[in-house]
Amino acid sequence: MTDLSEMLEVASDDPETLRDCFAVRGWGDGLPLVPPTPERVDAMLAGCGGDPEEVVAALPPRSGIATRRIIAINAVLAGCRPEHMSVLVAAVRALARPEVNLRGVNATTHPVAPLLVVHGEVARTAGYNSGLGAFGPGNLANASTGRALRLILLHVAGAVPGAGDASTQGGPAKYAYCVAENLAESPWGGYAASVGVDGPSAVTVHCGEAPHNFHDMESDQPAAILDKAASVMASLGSNNAPVSGAEFFVMLCPEHAAACAAAGWTRGNMASYLHERARMRTGDLREAFALRAWAPWQETFGDDAGMPITEHPDNIRIVVVGGPGKHSSVIPSWGMTRSATVPVEPERREGTEP
Amino acid sequence: MKVYAPDGAVGPSAASLAPPVPVLAGKRIGILDNSKPNAGLLLGRMAERLAARTGAGVEVVERKNAALPAPDDVLARLAEAEVVLTGSAD
Repeated sequence: MTDLSEMLEVASDDPETLRDCFAVRGWGDGLPLVPPTPERVDAMLAGCGGDPEEVVAALPPRSGIATRRIIAINAVLAGCRPEHMSVLVAAVRALARPEVNLRGVNATTHPVAPLLVVHGEVARTAGYNSGLGAFGPGNLANASTGRALRLILLHVAGAVPGAGDASTQGGPAKYAYCVAENLAESPWGGYAASVGVDGPSAVTVHCGEAPHNFHDMESDQPAAILDKAASVMASLGSNNAPVSGAEFFVMLCPEHAAACAAAGWTRGNMASYLHERARMRTGDLREAFALRAWAPWQETFGDDAGMPITEHPDNIRIVVVGGPGKHSSVIPSWGMTRSATVPVEPERREGTEP
Repeated sequence: MKVYAPDGAVGPSAASLAPPVPVLAGKRIGILDNSKPNAGLLLGRMAERLAARTGAGVEVVERKNAALPAPDDVLARLAEAEVVLTGSAD
């Protein structure tokens, strides 16, 4: 197979030199980088197998071609290990799904960043953190995979602040945003299977804001716990208030999840309850947003009617994440995007069928 | 030390601009309002002035969500115009 990638000559192998050399070309995320030498990239490619020149996706707005090799180069830069490659390849496939609307995600003034959620066996075998402190810091797999995905967005998709990313303030989630589902403590089974993606491992991409915390230290009643989540969801700050009826990911900590499950509540029950409770007075929304892009049915609501913050309970996605304690979080969507869940392919070896 | 460049090749563009129309007299101008604040107002005034100066007509006005591609029916109606004004940010 032919290696089609461009090579550069760098004076030294220290991470700062490479960072500065890349910065001149508009590459990098501001942090020191691991040099993507042919030896390191080959070792990274061995983590997923397959043809290095296989096109996994073309990523907008640059229409950059993400081959397995290009993904591996960025994985090396970010400090990944080869066992993270199959997750990254799946993540790039998910980002390219049309419902994700990556062009809009990258180009908007909103601080949206793709959250990568790792599900199933690979979370355990490749060392992803789904427990205490899962959103970070401190775990190599979460930090490096999240960073690699951002580097792919910067380098391949062209989501460079100014040229391809118009985010007004940017955001910390745009450095690295990767977490694993706590499958062992999920009373309802895995999230991926719940959305019809079966198999040992999968990833979900949800293009949203950074996590918004809610806590309930005192109740074992689902309604009391979920009312706090509903309060976070029903915010004038959400894009859903003026322009969309999109998804929310509710990342329940294991203790909140156990309390809800012990009372017999399913994922569907919780989503229906949150849809009912996460509402705002329609008149208040009208007053706040003269410029709004509501669906026609929304404009029929009287001022005193409660407007649901999302149009359907199916838009409320429940995933168990985290360790001991009673803090959970809500991750509002950017709005004009849908999450995508795709399987993680097993490693391919030469001579084997994909 | 040799290292790989991280950006890779660029694929074909999903769309390209139509060639410019050299003479606007008698042509139809369309407007695609992307719903950004005052986009319709700005594009509408520009189209009116352009029409007054050149003898073109403003004949198609459509609206779309700023963050999503225009639906097929909107694009089909805009295809009736020879020139389309669009694109406005916050």
